[in-house]
Amino acid sequence: MPAEIALLNNYLIVGAVLFGIGLIGFLSRRNMIVMFLAAEMMLQGVSLSLVAWSRFHNDFGGQMLVIFIIAIAACEAAVVLALVITLFQRRGQLDVADWQTLRESDQPPFQDKPLSQTPGEQPESWPRLTPAGIAPDVPPEKIDYRPKV
Amino acid sequence: MAALGMWLLLPRGGARGRSVGAVLAVMALGLGASRMPRLGDWVGQSVFSILAVVTVIAAAATVSFRKPVYCAIWFGLTLLGVAGLFLLIGAQFLAVATIVVYAGAILVTFLFVLMLANQEGNTIYDRVSWEAILSAAAGMVIVGVLSLTIGSVFSTLPAMDARQISVSSPEQLAQGVLSPNHVASFGMELFGRHLIAIEVAGVLLLAALVGAAAIVAHNQRVQGLGFRIQDSSPTSLPKSESQTPNPKSQVLNPEP
Repeated sequence: MPAEIALLNNYLIVGAVLFGIGLIGFLSRRNMIVMFLAAEMMLQGVSLSLVAWSRFHNDFGGQMLVIFIIAIAACEAAVVLALVITLFQRRGQLDVADWQTLRESDQPPFQDKPLSQTPGEQPESWPRLTPAGIAPDVPPEKIDYRPKV
Repeated sequence: MAALGMWLLLPRGGARGRSVGAVLAVMALGLGASRMPRLGDWVGQSVFSILAVVTVIAAAATVSFRKPVYCAIWFGLTLLGVAGLFLLIGAQFLAVATIVVYAGAILVTFLFVLMLANQEGNTIYDRVSWEAILSAAAGMVIVGVLSLTIGSVFSTLPAMDARQISVSSPEQLAQGVLSPNHVASFGMELFGRHLIAIEVAGVLLLAALVGAAAIVAHNQRVQGLGFRIQDSSPTSLPKSESQTPNPKSQVLNPEP
């Protein structure tokens, strides 16, 4: 196999692997920002194969396409991040499953399994602040704030 | 190749068995790399191997890490690897453009992660993924099909003989894509044949800018600047949704 064809072959395979990993990430992650990154990664895989074809055919067409892909990716990033801000302001978290009311009507709802803390994981800790002033005289049933923050 | 895909099913998403998944993924990567044909010279081969391995590992880490900050950092490494691969194949301008453009994108994403996301990655939506097995199977089936197709096409190439497929000689390459004044010829091509496309891309960028500003501005006009906290009850859900137990994922320790 000549070296040029081997180069094309290898680049195409790496591009395909990048695309596949990005696809997996886009399908399986629920954090919107990570989904955005995975979509960008799919674009990277495609542009890698385009550049490889451009080298193989000794033509700049593939590299032109990659330039346009980069431009489109910039547009996409702007719109996606604006949407992420919007959705985050509505619900206060980045979960895509939060928006499952948009699903088709015959699909069953997605339920979160109750999840215990994994053993290696520390519970989230809050800093202990020095008490200042005098503790206010509030009857305990009226306390709706956390005593320790 | 298909078997490698099946091995890769395991690692995604879950909390258990991540190390086993990583080992399996690395084995699959090694096996796949051993099937790839050698390049001509060993320098190019080794540089390509290092770059490709870094890129693929960083990509896998991007989609499999729990904390979104790490995801962003690993994605930056993926971009560096891709830029290196561009440079290796002779697309110098694209390599630099990728780094320059995506450095900004990564920085902004990083900022977003710092502002919006849960840093520890222990929200339920970072820990539990959608149909992990199905999506991993789908992705790896696509990779397997693509690489099998590529491999079969190129393995039958010598039989097809060299008349039908014209491999560019180094002299032709040196006058074309690999010419010493790469950027000059690149720019001639870009602003010659593709001038209208460039203009359209500029308009598209402007439209995206205005669109993004409009989305955010509209949202703030609708909502005020008010910020809804997680445990506030959703008001406008349809009835069927509110009867089911609340599917909203909960942060394990909601912030006060």
